[in-house]
Amino acid sequence: MAWSTAEAALVLLVLASLVFVALRTLPGDPAALILGDQASAEELAALRARLGFDRPLYVQYAHFLRGLLSLDFGDSLRRPGVRAGARVLEALGPTGELAALAVAMGSVLGVTGAVLAVGPWLGTARRFVERAFVAVAATPLLAFAPLLTYVLAVKWRLLPLPGDPDAGFLGLLFASGLLAIPLSAHVARIGRVALLEVSGAPFLTVVRAKGGSFARTWYLHGLPATAGPIVTTIGTQLGALLGGAVVLERLFERPGLGTLILESYASRDLPVLEASVVAAGALFVLTQAIAGAVHAAIDPRVRS
Amino acid sequence: MSAAPPRAPEGGTGRWLGTGRWSGLGWSLLPLGAIFAVAAAVALFGSRSPTRLDPVLAWTSPSLERPFGSGEGGVDLLALTAHAELRGMVLAVAVALFGFVVGTPLGAAAAFARGRFERGVARTCDLLQAFPTFLLALVVLSAVRAPTRWHLGIVFALTAWAPFARLALAQSRVLRAAAFIDASIALGQSPVRVFWYHVLPNLLGVVKVQLGSTAASLIVSEAALAFVGFGPHDGVSLGNVLDQGVASMLRAPHVLAVGALSVFVTSASMLVAARAQKR
Repeated sequence: MAWSTAEAALVLLVLASLVFVALRTLPGDPAALILGDQASAEELAALRARLGFDRPLYVQYAHFLRGLLSLDFGDSLRRPGVRAGARVLEALGPTGELAALAVAMGSVLGVTGAVLAVGPWLGTARRFVERAFVAVAATPLLAFAPLLTYVLAVKWRLLPLPGDPDAGFLGLLFASGLLAIPLSAHVARIGRVALLEVSGAPFLTVVRAKGGSFARTWYLHGLPATAGPIVTTIGTQLGALLGGAVVLERLFERPGLGTLILESYASRDLPVLEASVVAAGALFVLTQAIAGAVHAAIDPRVRS
Repeated sequence: MSAAPPRAPEGGTGRWLGTGRWSGLGWSLLPLGAIFAVAAAVALFGSRSPTRLDPVLAWTSPSLERPFGSGEGGVDLLALTAHAELRGMVLAVAVALFGFVVGTPLGAAAAFARGRFERGVARTCDLLQAFPTFLLALVVLSAVRAPTRWHLGIVFALTAWAPFARLALAQSRVLRAAAFIDASIALGQSPVRVFWYHVLPNLLGVVKVQLGSTAASLIVSEAALAFVGFGPHDGVSLGNVLDQGVASMLRAPHVLAVGALSVFVTSASMLVAARAQKR
């Protein structure tokens, strides 16, 4: 547990340091990027002093680390008087909702697909299901999300546009569903293989011999034995999910962490940019830790 | 008595898509080759520039004159897509090859060095592979005023070597215990010679399969970055076509179809080409 916490802290420190290094040492003056070419030398010097860029790099880094530990990244440049951390907290809610619902939907759909693919219900059509999983997993979200949106929301008007402020929960459900599709395909592929591996295990034969239905055999007995690969897949897919959330927020113009990152990049709001990228990293590390804890809770072999 | 190994059919290109091992190879490479050939032909022999605007024709539907129709400002979508695909493919293949050339020897060397070096490389790979590359790219590109393909290439290259190193590391752990490696060392061959002549050639079969999937994910990443506004400033990217398509979804759905299908077809052709490496 202590080792996992230390690893998570190390990942966050590396990411935060990378943000710091990228914004301060890559070619180009950040103050000039923020103020533009028309700014006077005095204005540039004043902004450099305000952001601390006139100090030695190690002093800036120490200041940055102190801010990281106290979660204080300074004031937003675009909205003076508002803390960068406050803007990030405000944006975390919508992204958290989107990602959490996507994980829930992707897991349920993927596990159901895996059970269907190994169970007897589909007959010979099972091989087509497996091919469908491969095809969906290989299809980029960027390609199918706008097309599905056009067909379902614009052409057929079955669902509201997820960026519509009046869309409410249905809009959130639609956006999360789009994110959940590739996740469910990955979960279904791994789940199917894991279930096939335990399909010949004696404990499943005993369940069937005692009169257990196929659904009971697979859901109550087969699935817990394959929870490890499934939970690990969900954990490793969370990175892609975060990237996908940025694309979806941009596509639907929904508020969230991705939108905040893009906005702060466009306006060169460095404190907010730093805080939001670190927050995204923390979200990722936290969800990885949750995946590990769930795996350990389900499978006692991992705890030992 | 063991069966004779399968032989490649003799003859010229007429039998390239025939039967047997070479037939599979040909079919796997066909989609990528076809897309590349068509895009190159349009880019080389087409009369329209991918950035030339013709406002009178803005958002016009596909026609014989313009098979993909026009996009924002009357840009010819066929020219824009062809150039974007070519540039995207060149970037993806170049970065994937860089990752292959850097990652494979690094992973193999780490497995043979063992100890701290092996653990260090494995941990770095874990870190890079676990963390969202998209986020990493946003961080680095945010320090650049106007990203170019060079910037994108450098950002992608930062992480592209990790999957190759991971595969090479895993495969080399198996190879280092193999009898023929022990025999080479017992015969007095130097570690460098053993590594170069015996280890690396036996790794390549497994590791090169990763080339196609890495290139496919790079195609999508480049398009995604361009879609959210971090793409090359010349605007010639599949992500920009998609961006135009989303903006004009109601009045010109053909632009969205061209953008989405181009991303899918290019990425899928890379994945299909990766199957050729398995043969």
